[in-house]
Amino acid sequence: MNKMPVYNLYMGCSVPANYPNYEAAMTKVAQAFGMDLVYMEGVACCGSPNLRAIDYFGWLVVNARTLAIAEKDGHDIVTPCNGCFGSLKDVLHHLKHDKEDMNRVNKELKASGLQLKGTIKVRHFVEALYSDIGISEIKKKVTKPLDGVGIAIHYGCHLLRPQDVTEFSPETLRELVEATGASVIDYPLWKQCCGATVLPVNEELAIRLARDKLKSMKEAGAVFATVVCPACGNQLDLQQLGLKDTYGEVYDIPVLLYPQILALAMGIDQEEVGLSMNRVAADPILEHLTG
Amino acid sequence: MSPLQTFNMGTEFRCPVQPYSRSNYGGVFFMAETEEKTGPPVTLIDPIDMSQLDPKFREEISSMPNGEELSACFACSTCTAACPIANQWNFKPHQLIRMILLGMRTEVLSSKEIWECLTCFECQERCPQKVRVTDIFFDCKNLAAEEGNVPENILVLAKSLIETGQLYEVMNDWEREDLNLEPEVPGLSTEEVKSILKGTRTGRLVGGDE
Repeated sequence: MNKMPVYNLYMGCSVPANYPNYEAAMTKVAQAFGMDLVYMEGVACCGSPNLRAIDYFGWLVVNARTLAIAEKDGHDIVTPCNGCFGSLKDVLHHLKHDKEDMNRVNKELKASGLQLKGTIKVRHFVEALYSDIGISEIKKKVTKPLDGVGIAIHYGCHLLRPQDVTEFSPETLRELVEATGASVIDYPLWKQCCGATVLPVNEELAIRLARDKLKSMKEAGAVFATVVCPACGNQLDLQQLGLKDTYGEVYDIPVLLYPQILALAMGIDQEEVGLSMNRVAADPILEHLTG
Repeated sequence: MSPLQTFNMGTEFRCPVQPYSRSNYGGVFFMAETEEKTGPPVTLIDPIDMSQLDPKFREEISSMPNGEELSACFACSTCTAACPIANQWNFKPHQLIRMILLGMRTEVLSSKEIWECLTCFECQERCPQKVRVTDIFFDCKNLAAEEGNVPENILVLAKSLIETGQLYEVMNDWEREDLNLEPEVPGLSTEEVKSILKGTRTGRLVGGDE
């Protein structure tokens, strides 16, 4: 690496409030690779997808504002949340293709001295890790590789789709997981939704969707699962506790945020990545660290 | 599979505009298969009540964000096959698109389906005609919201956004401190988001001036 890459870190609301372990693990990993994640100034929630559902224009302006702030210094936006990623990517995509809306939005931003041109890039943290650091550099820092234990990847809808908007390729995360020494478990429902978005209007349906995912993972032989989104994490990890009551089923699949797994494989202490905060006890993963 | 099955709305719902009705489509006979059958029809057919349709609905949706391809739908039901929850919907995704094209504005905008959409984009991703199905359901929700038709729990979230600028707020800052993170999220500023949303539809729906 020639120089330390600098990023506009957009945290969104859910990671800092509900998953500080994700934030801590991401920060530790980024530090180790010399990625300079700078928390963005003057931003808040992206509102997705609820805001998009009821107030499309408000959603455009809120996210265009975030994009415009980052455009001022030009450093790519990086976010650990699929919801934020999807919102920012979608708004940027829409405004780049709709001049009329771009003008309407910029009219609103003018009062705060901002203007969006559409030159900024938005990336998920795992994309930055993959493209800017690279698998070979990552492997060099993996001192305690996992012993080939099976991990199921849940990518999350708003990372994968719509592909013409997100431009995300699933191989990215697959290679990142394999770089830790783990085996990636293929399972039939790998692309399917975790159900988080329907939680406010139909909880029963949301739980069924989480259960379908976990069942598919378990049947395929996954020992652990990994996610890169707080909402997906909530569904697959926290909902497992309730499945005992609703379905009488125990899955016992620890769900780790990807940077937690990488950090552990890099020899970073479990307390620094908040492993004890994961709902389904995640410490069994420690038994799979070698070296 | 009979082409009729594509439009079989199930028992819960009798579509008033059964598109395969001979009597209603000005003498257009549908498929030789229909001719050969005797006895009761496969699907019960109610006459179209044209006064219940809104012919402008399709233009309304087409002119909304990502609605341009709406009329390219040829009702192949790929979207429905891709939808993880269509099996528990009265209106399947392809039927909702067809209902929009037919002008069934009231039925679409008051349906529970548009709000239960997972926004997983599986339907949109697979549409061979490039109809942006999920995006169109977002458009429908916006139209419903404009008429004040929003599920209670979504309004609760909207209220949280306009009052706090966030969907989630940090409650346990000690958890953050334990992990060597700043107790308050660095750079967080909620005033601007609140002020933007007071001036848009969110403000009209849930106020925000109290």
